[in-house]
Amino acid sequence: MAKTNQILRGSSCWLLWLVLAIVPRTYGATGAGTQTLTATINPIGSISVPGSTNLTTSMTTFQPFTGALVLSYRARTTPAGAGTITMTVTSDFTPAGGPSAASGDLTYVCSGATLGTACSGTQKASPTTQTPVVALPASSCTGGGGACSTPDPNSVNLIFNLTDSPAYGTGSYSAKVTFTISST
Amino acid sequence: MRRFALKVAWGLLTLPLLLGAQNTGTTTLSVAVGPEAALTVNTATTTLATASTTFGTPFTGTTNLTYFIRTTKTGGTGSITLKVTSDFAGTGGPSVTTPPSTGDALTYTCTVSAPGTACTGAQTASTAAATAFGTWGAAANSVKAGNSASVAWSLTDDPVYATGTYTATTTFTISAL
Repeated sequence: MAKTNQILRGSSCWLLWLVLAIVPRTYGATGAGTQTLTATINPIGSISVPGSTNLTTSMTTFQPFTGALVLSYRARTTPAGAGTITMTVTSDFTPAGGPSAASGDLTYVCSGATLGTACSGTQKASPTTQTPVVALPASSCTGGGGACSTPDPNSVNLIFNLTDSPAYGTGSYSAKVTFTISST
Repeated sequence: MRRFALKVAWGLLTLPLLLGAQNTGTTTLSVAVGPEAALTVNTATTTLATASTTFGTPFTGTTNLTYFIRTTKTGGTGSITLKVTSDFAGTGGPSVTTPPSTGDALTYTCTVSAPGTACTGAQTASTAAATAFGTWGAAANSVKAGNSASVAWSLTDDPVYATGTYTATTTFTISAL
């Protein structure tokens, strides 16, 4: 009997706790809370180029080798910032006995930048200097239209021109060109 | 110490954001360089003349050329030939095709700077076939600005030629493999 009373007392305590816990929910309650979401939008840039570009000539009379490349990029610059896309020859033509960017054999022209301004005139590619491809103004941004560009990603066309000197030995030659996008 | 390390790590992570963003992409430019040949005739019109008035000395003149050549490294060859593509015009004058007298001829000697090899001895120009001028072996390369070559012409001064001016056209052909 004593044990039965103890069980009933224990059950009452749990029942009371359950009622107290449910009542407020049953009758409703309101509350408010605020949370500040902060996003820091930083300048950013990304770039994409084909893994390889063939330079060819349709002539056999020492006309230049040419090749076209479409460079894709996304960029965002700050209102006080700017951006650039540059290129450098990170590995000159190999093997030896062929063309040489260091000797000024490789040039390029840029056109059709869908964000920013493409380089003007003929640029001489260099293994020692970053040469211009695209200049991005302040407050540039890729995609979405409005204040940003409509195309996403943006693109710029490059046409490479390689001197065809009779002094080159016959054979296949390759060089690596690295493009760098920077934005602030 | 641990807090300091965390601060340094955070600083390194946020440093690029403070300095701006940078990204790169790389492409490989590939080119296949094959055998090629070209030439420039520097003397568009070569005047054949003689200082003699006694038929003892032929009419002579020199045509200068610049050649550009690249032959294959292994087994490559190159050649340059010439052909009279338009014989001396006018009646009564010299003729490559039908010389008026036996022994009349338009002949030439060749000079080809290295790495070329000039033709040997006097060659008789022809309207029927291309004749030798110079050759190149494997892995022959002229310089970027081209190398020099020349043709020294000699035309018999036959008394049967009627006086006047006669013109012929010669075409040079250069090839490389």
